[in-house]
Amino acid sequence: MAGSVIVITSGKGGVGKTTTSANIGTALALMGKKVAMIDTDIGLRNLDLLLGLENRIVYTIVDVVENRCKLKQALVKDKKNPNLCLLAAAQTRDKSAVDADQLKEICGQLKEDFDYVIVDCPAGIEQGFQNAVAGANEAIVVTTPEMSAIRDADRIIGLLEAKEGVERHRLLVNRVRPKLIKLNNMLSVDDVVETLSCELIGVIPEDEHITTSTNKGDPAVNDNKSLAGMAYMNVAKRITGEEVPLLDIDVPSNIFEKIKKFFKKKEQG
Amino acid sequence: MYNNEFFVVDMASCTSTGEIINNLSLALETLNHSGKKIVLKLNESYLNQSQMLSIQSLITSYGCSLDTVETTNEDTQKVAENMNIFVQKPIEKRIEEKYESNDNDFEKFSMDANRNITVKEVNGLHFEADLDAIQKQQDNIDISSDLKNAGISPNDDFEEIEQKVSAQYAQSQDLINQNDDIDRIENPEMFENQQSTSAITAENKEFDNTEKNTIGVYKKAYKEENIEEEHFEDVDFYETATDEPVVSDTKNTTYINQTLRSGQVLEAEGNVVIIGDCHPGSEVRAGGDITVWGVLSGIAHAGYKGNIDAKVRALKLNAIQLRIGNCYSRRPDGTNIPYIIRSSVFTPEEARVVDDEIILFKINQN
Repeated sequence: MAGSVIVITSGKGGVGKTTTSANIGTALALMGKKVAMIDTDIGLRNLDLLLGLENRIVYTIVDVVENRCKLKQALVKDKKNPNLCLLAAAQTRDKSAVDADQLKEICGQLKEDFDYVIVDCPAGIEQGFQNAVAGANEAIVVTTPEMSAIRDADRIIGLLEAKEGVERHRLLVNRVRPKLIKLNNMLSVDDVVETLSCELIGVIPEDEHITTSTNKGDPAVNDNKSLAGMAYMNVAKRITGEEVPLLDIDVPSNIFEKIKKFFKKKEQG
Repeated sequence: MYNNEFFVVDMASCTSTGEIINNLSLALETLNHSGKKIVLKLNESYLNQSQMLSIQSLITSYGCSLDTVETTNEDTQKVAENMNIFVQKPIEKRIEEKYESNDNDFEKFSMDANRNITVKEVNGLHFEADLDAIQKQQDNIDISSDLKNAGISPNDDFEEIEQKVSAQYAQSQDLINQNDDIDRIENPEMFENQQSTSAITAENKEFDNTEKNTIGVYKKAYKEENIEEEHFEDVDFYETATDEPVVSDTKNTTYINQTLRSGQVLEAEGNVVIIGDCHPGSEVRAGGDITVWGVLSGIAHAGYKGNIDAKVRALKLNAIQLRIGNCYSRRPDGTNIPYIIRSSVFTPEEARVVDDEIILFKINQN
C-alpha cells in the first residue's frame, strides 16, 4: 500500500499553511484514514502546538535523520485520534539539519504505512521548501486573496511545475471575507483562480474559531460550529476523491435576503 | 527552652553579679527576644534582693519578663520567692531527689519523655530528624537527660518509645498536677502552636543557635489524571536525601543571567542556575541540578548523564517536559496555553525522582 504525500506550501508566511495542515490531517483521520504529518519547519515549529501535542515530543525529525532513534519512535500519536501521527520538527536546530534526500527517504518509509502523509512546509523557497517538496507527489498551495500572497503563490506554483515527482498541485484560498469581496475591497476567489490559473481545491472563510482552536491546541474540524472547520472537512473529502460542492460562504446581496439570512442564523444559533 | 515563649539563660558558670548582668545583657541584645519569659539558671551563686531587682529591671528593659529562677542556693530562693518569681531546682537535682524518694517517679520521667515526643508530633516533624536534633542539643537541653532517666535512649526506635510511654501515659496524667515545678516549663499547652524547635543558651558569651527548621512539603503527582490529587506528607526537606551524598560539584556551576528563548539550548556538565525565565521551546540540560529563578516553561533535563538524584527547581514549574536521569514526565494536557502564565504569585516547586517517578514538591516557607 502506497499512500500519497501531500505538501502544504505557500511561499508567503502567515497565510495559514500550518493551520491548513493540522485541519486537513485531522479531517482525513476523522474519515478513518491513516495519516502521518511531518513538520519540516525546523527551528520554528508550530504544528505540534496546533494539535496540542507539544508536551509529548521526545524525538524529532532531526533525531531520526541523525540515527538517534527509529522513525516509529519519533512518531507522536494524537491524543484523540489514533489514526493520526505527528513527526515533529526540532526547535533547537535549523533547516540545514536535514537535507532533501533524507526527507525523501522518510516520506518513502511513511508512505508504506499510512494512507496520507501531510508535509507542512516552511515559508520561503530556500532549503526548507526544497526539503519539504522533495518527497511529495501532490501539493496544495495556500494563498489569501491579497496581491502579495498571490504573487508568492505564483512563484511557488512555477517551482512546483518544474519539480519532478509532484504530479498535481491545487490551490486553496484561505481567509476569504465575502463581505469585503462584495464591497470590491478584496479579490474574489474567481479572480485569484484566474490569476494563478490553477485547479481549486477549496475556499476557507475567515473564522474566529481558528484563533481559539489554535490556542486550545484542538483543530477547528473537531468543532461542528466552525464554518472554517466545515470548509476544511470538504477539502479533505476532495483529497480522497469525493465530489463536494464549494461551501456557501456568500453574504446576501440585497436587504431582504440579508434579513432572511439573519433570522435563519438566529434560529440556528 | 525549646519554645518560642521561653528563653533559658544559663548563668551557672558566672560567679559575680557583674558577670551575670554583663552576660545577660549580651544575650538579650544579640537576639531579639522581646515579649519572652526568661528562665535564669543561677546554680549556687547568692544574690540579694537589690541584685535580683537590678537583674529583673534589666530584663524588663529589653521587653522581657523574669519568669523563673533556677538555683540551688536557698537564700537566693527566698529572695526570689519574695519577689514573686517562680523558683525551681536544677533538673539534675530534681532527678536525684525523685530517684531517692520512690519508684513511681520513673513514670513521672517517662511521662516527661512522652510529652517531649508529643511536642515533636505536633510540630509535624519527622522523627528521625528529631532524634538528630535531640542528639545535637544533648548538652543544652534537658530532654536527653529526661529520656535517659526514663530508660529511653534517643537512639531507640520511635515505635518502641511510643509503646513505652503510651502505656504509662494514662497513669501519669494524674501526676502532672502534683509535679508542678516540672510542669512550669514543660506544660504541653505551651507547645501547641509551636512552629520550630529552638534551643538557645548563653554560656561563656558563646551563643549556640541550633535551629531546626523543617519544611512540610506537598507531594503532587505530575500526571494528567492525578493533577488534583495532593496529599500532605511529613517529609523532612533536608533529611530525605539518600545515604550517599548527591554527586554534584558545587564549583562546577553554570550561572546564566538571561532569559532562555525558544530554540535556545543550554547544556552544562555540572549544575545550572538561571536567573530569568525559560520560555517554551527552550531546553536546559545539566549534569547536576537545574535551578531557575523565574518561570520554567521549556524542557528541563537534569542529570542527563544518568544522575537520578538531580533536581529541578523553579519559582514556577510549568515545564512542557521534565526529565531527570532517565525518568520522563510531561505536563498534563489541560494546561495547554504555554505562553500565558496566569500567576502573579509564584509557587516555588522542586522536582525530584521518587520510585522512578518525577514528583513535584512544593517548597513552603514554614
